Amino acid sequence: MSVRLLVLIVLSVVLMVVDARFETLKPLRSQLGLVLTPVYWLTDLPLRMWEGMSEQVASRSELIEENRRLKNEALLLQRRLQKLATLTEQNVRLRELLNSTALLDDHVVIAELIGLDPSPFTQRIIINKGSRDDVFVGQPVLDATGLMGQVVEVMPYTSRVLLITDSVHSVPVQVNRNGLRAIASGTGSDYLELRHVPETSDIKEGDLLVSSGLGQRFPAGYPVARVRSVVHEPGQAFLQVHAVPTAMLNRSRHLLLVFSDAGTPEQRMGAAGLSVEAQVGDHEVEPPSEPLEEQP
Amino acid sequence: MSAERPNNGWVIWATFVVALLLSVAPLPGNLDLLRPLWLGLVAAFWALTLPHRGGMTMAWCFGLLLDVLSGNLLGLNGIPLALIVFLVLNLQQRLRMFPIWQQAMVLMVILGIAQLVLLWLNTLAGNRPPTLLFLVPVLTSAILWFWLYLALQWLRRRFDVY
Repeated sequence: MSVRLLVLIVLSVVLMVVDARFETLKPLRSQLGLVLTPVYWLTDLPLRMWEGMSEQVASRSELIEENRRLKNEALLLQRRLQKLATLTEQNVRLRELLNSTALLDDHVVIAELIGLDPSPFTQRIIINKGSRDDVFVGQPVLDATGLMGQVVEVMPYTSRVLLITDSVHSVPVQVNRNGLRAIASGTGSDYLELRHVPETSDIKEGDLLVSSGLGQRFPAGYPVARVRSVVHEPGQAFLQVHAVPTAMLNRSRHLLLVFSDAGTPEQRMGAAGLSVEAQVGDHEVEPPSEPLEEQP
Repeated sequence: MSAERPNNGWVIWATFVVALLLSVAPLPGNLDLLRPLWLGLVAAFWALTLPHRGGMTMAWCFGLLLDVLSGNLLGLNGIPLALIVFLVLNLQQRLRMFPIWQQAMVLMVILGIAQLVLLWLNTLAGNRPPTLLFLVPVLTSAILWFWLYLALQWLRRRFDVY
């Protein structure tokens, strides 16, 4: 009995070390993940049934109300989009004048949340797209209102996403108002903390933080968080800045996987240069993509 | 006792699978903090009632599956689960004489030890929980033991597992 315990413990330790240091166990993990995919489906079933039921029994007036609200929202968004087209064109022209590279548009795919991490101390979710859909490790994930996190593990039909509020996650951001750069680190709770912000920095409550694109992991310009509090403790070298993510981290069910131009800065420059030429060539500028058209 | 042929082993498998499902099922809000250690409880029950079936390797294998499902290092959950079975097997002759509430007390200590080992391994793996809240599931598990014991005992008699 003790021998068996010892053997199992040694086996566990060996597995852990190999899993942490080498790539050899990745196929095994991926295969087991494939076999276990129905588990996510099964554990998600009660919630989906509940949602389906509440949709079935939603009253007519509620549906009409929702329909009206959505129509209004669509109208507002359409108006914004119209404006955006001219603004984008203007932006590209100005950038051409400045001889700087054009902003690239990102290609997105919609994924659905199918599971949560059971551990209360990590903030990870499982989505229904995997290596079969060309998801890759490090891929940024958004929802309708902001940055959610990045893919950390890919299985054939599912993948695991680390949320920006996890205590091991950080994202480079800048203040939208003045371009001040900072690092937003997760806290394991529901807010982010800005690391090492000098006490003379111009940052205040309500500032929108957008991804800066530095670090080449996240595309630039997506909203990340809104500053909730700025506290200056006398005697501390840095400001204590807390920010609340704009993405609905614990409510969103539909997420967007971004296929942006992941690559070295040189590759980015090359791609950007090409696209500038293409745009100069036919003088046609498209408005930013409508993510919904990618619906699989 | 150990000379008997195993009967209806699939019931044991089924309870383990259900425990695995329950330990990854999404829970609303902060209820995650209270989630009982389902796999540990089920493994402890079978080790207690059918010691000749062992079950240490089985518990370890389900620990492996839990690792895959929750994205931990492979083998992380295996050690505490094997440890739970080991401790219960060692104490089972005494534990069987105890009334259920006393069993729950001893089990609380055993599960607590397992959680501490898990904390230690998690720290080695680099994600240390910032609080002592990881001990709360031990409490809920001990409270749950009463009902779980009765339910599984009924199941065992119903399907005549030995």
